[in-house]
Amino acid sequence: MADASVPLQTPLSRRGIERLDLMLLCAEALDLNGGEAMVWLSEEMGFTDLFPNRVELWKRRCSNPLRRNTRRAALKPEETDALIRILNALAERLYPMLRTLLSSAEPPELNQQRWDLFRGRLRELVQERLNPRRGGVQRLLDPGEGAELSRELVQAMALSAGEGGFERLRASLLDAAV
Amino acid sequence: MKLTSRYEQTSCRLVVEGLPDLSAGQDSSTIGIVTGFSMGLAGHTDLEGQREHLQALLAAVIPYARHLLSAVPKAFGAADSPVAIEPSDGRHQLELRSRQPNTPPLKIVLDDAELSDLVRCLDQLRLDRRLAIPFELPELHPLSRNDLRHRQPLLRRVAAPLVGVATLLISASLLSLLPTPKAPVDVRLNRPTLALPR
Repeated sequence: MADASVPLQTPLSRRGIERLDLMLLCAEALDLNGGEAMVWLSEEMGFTDLFPNRVELWKRRCSNPLRRNTRRAALKPEETDALIRILNALAERLYPMLRTLLSSAEPPELNQQRWDLFRGRLRELVQERLNPRRGGVQRLLDPGEGAELSRELVQAMALSAGEGGFERLRASLLDAAV
Repeated sequence: MKLTSRYEQTSCRLVVEGLPDLSAGQDSSTIGIVTGFSMGLAGHTDLEGQREHLQALLAAVIPYARHLLSAVPKAFGAADSPVAIEPSDGRHQLELRSRQPNTPPLKIVLDDAELSDLVRCLDQLRLDRRLAIPFELPELHPLSRNDLRHRQPLLRRVAAPLVGVATLLISASLLSLLPTPKAPVDVRLNRPTLALPR
């Protein structure tokens, strides 16, 4: 698959940024040190010019329109690409956990407990950081629809891990708005 | 000298065997000609195939994963292709069709974790620099609004136009109940005032 098929300089839509930040939030829900891991990975991957410190990284993520304190400033394509690369690396790190959650070979009761734990952490993060008046946030917190959406996010992270994951995820985040 | 490349994940193993294409100037550690490949999926017997099967596997599974990432599962693999994949009751059905007549296709159902493992193995394989084989794959591109329309539930998609049409019908029927104003009549001449004077 041609890597250069998606133009490098295409900025992400608000909807794409929303999905990207939600996946980063899932990474934090899966790993208690996820926030720190993001900062560390950003430095490790050489994004210090784009995100000199954790506050700058945080500010970029606040372009998500679902955030309580959302920023209207548009993100540059190189900034969103860096965030996608960080997510790609986090998904790679968390892949064993993502795989376990998605597997039907695991004992159902044990896997239900894992999902409950993950969804509980995600709910806490969503309530803390996202605007509860937005329909998208209400859907995430809904017991039925929220479970389906969080499974979609975990599956998307699993398919974004690894070598080919970056290009695939970027193409998906550039999808047309429905 | 025969070369072997292995790609492994928890539930999937791909092994590619081949030879360097010395006529194309490749070094002795690069596979330029595939002589065969085998795929082992957990719980199933190992499958063996040729380069065309590997190409068909990539051409079906990689675009399928791309669509699944956007939460719009879609079947891939034409009727005459040796490999096809389609969503099946929340899982993914991989269909491997034999060229030999009277051999029914082999259907393997994968769960989300097994599919991710297969996609990762195929990603490693297609991006491996030691494998100098030009696999033909459709380009990665963002999905159009038309591709994504299945993501929204039908009710949510038709809600806005439905409310619009309903409002128009209700207001039209209410307006039709109002009496039509009669044309003002000239009392003296007992004819409509709009008539031209003689």
